[in-house]
Amino acid sequence: MAISRAAASSVAEALTAPNTAPGAAPVIGVTGAPGAGKSTLIGRLVARRVRDDRTMAVLAIDPSSPRSGGSLLGDRIRMEAISGDPRVYIRSLPSAGAHDGLTDNIAEVLGVLDAFGFGEVLIETVGVGQAEYGVRALAAAEVLVLMPGAGDYVQAMKAGIIETADIFVVNKAELPGAERLEAELLAVLERREVKAPVIRVSAVSDEGVAALSEAIDAFLQESRERETQAARQRFRLQSLVQRRLREVLDQVACEQWRLPLADLYCSVLKRL
Amino acid sequence: MSATAQPGLRGKRILLAKPGLDGHDVGAKVIALALRDAGADVIYTGLRKSPAYIAQAAVDEDVDALGLSILSGSHVELVAQTFDELAARGAGDMAVFVGGTIPAADREALEALGVKGVFNSDMRLADVVAQVARALA
Repeated sequence: MAISRAAASSVAEALTAPNTAPGAAPVIGVTGAPGAGKSTLIGRLVARRVRDDRTMAVLAIDPSSPRSGGSLLGDRIRMEAISGDPRVYIRSLPSAGAHDGLTDNIAEVLGVLDAFGFGEVLIETVGVGQAEYGVRALAAAEVLVLMPGAGDYVQAMKAGIIETADIFVVNKAELPGAERLEAELLAVLERREVKAPVIRVSAVSDEGVAALSEAIDAFLQESRERETQAARQRFRLQSLVQRRLREVLDQVACEQWRLPLADLYCSVLKRL
Repeated sequence: MSATAQPGLRGKRILLAKPGLDGHDVGAKVIALALRDAGADVIYTGLRKSPAYIAQAAVDEDVDALGLSILSGSHVELVAQTFDELAARGAGDMAVFVGGTIPAADREALEALGVKGVFNSDMRLADVVAQVARALA
């Protein structure tokens, strides 16, 4: 119930909610294009990482329809590996008004989860393109999932999401083209200042999942000192301001759209 | 085929599940899409789930309603078990709907268990969606 309230709260309600101490549990963000195999991989990964003394929460986000506002949330279907494990909590969320691969109020939902004392939280973003890297601000470790046949995609992503991820997964490694994808990825990553591991995984057979889990451990260990609290607070503020802006824009009356742009700009800013 | 938007369904969370062993989920998927197009957030569990799994998912996902699609003929047993599992998790008052091949004679038994609506394949999609919307209003 508390999570539903947090997920559905208005900007005003989010502001008056108790300020939870964020960062109790490390957040692992898993992102990638639609169909890259994020859900299946998360099922395998969580099955490997969950322990009696490390319960896990999964926030699985799927897109909301811009037409009806409704959504079809099907990530659970692919998480067979953890289905029924009482140490794992899965919550499906619609993207609602967010366009950054996440959902409105994700920071507030994370705040509520903190209170339950999960050992780790995984966020599965909606299938993303090149520039939806909102999860960066919330995650202690960001995993980008790619699949064979996405070589040109890697080229196109050079300047986008590829710069923000900490760990790269070549998923569906049993398919032809996996080696080529890995080579292209390594070539692009060579130019990056901060080196990042590339791991071949076959989520259907569990191959490489152990290596991915170890890479996450190593990264979390190393990045322990990093300040994610400020980033999370900044993200929270930005998403609230963006939502408030949408509210104000929705109130602009039809005839006002004919006004000069500079006048509209001033009037909208005033109403924020 | 698409249903019209129902303001009452906007923001409502509905879990659609298939308990038991029948392997046909075209009906469940058609209903899922119709409810989504009417504005609901629909969570689909996939095939062959146990009543215990479905009840736990309904509680974890904090849904407003649970839809069970059953074509195997064992709807009365499966629905009774699902209500037991819901009650064991403090959610015995969940709004539950059942769809599938349900003989008219079993309708009363299901309603006696607490089912809020029984849908057959001869019903119009828009009527199914409207009935769910009314029940959740």
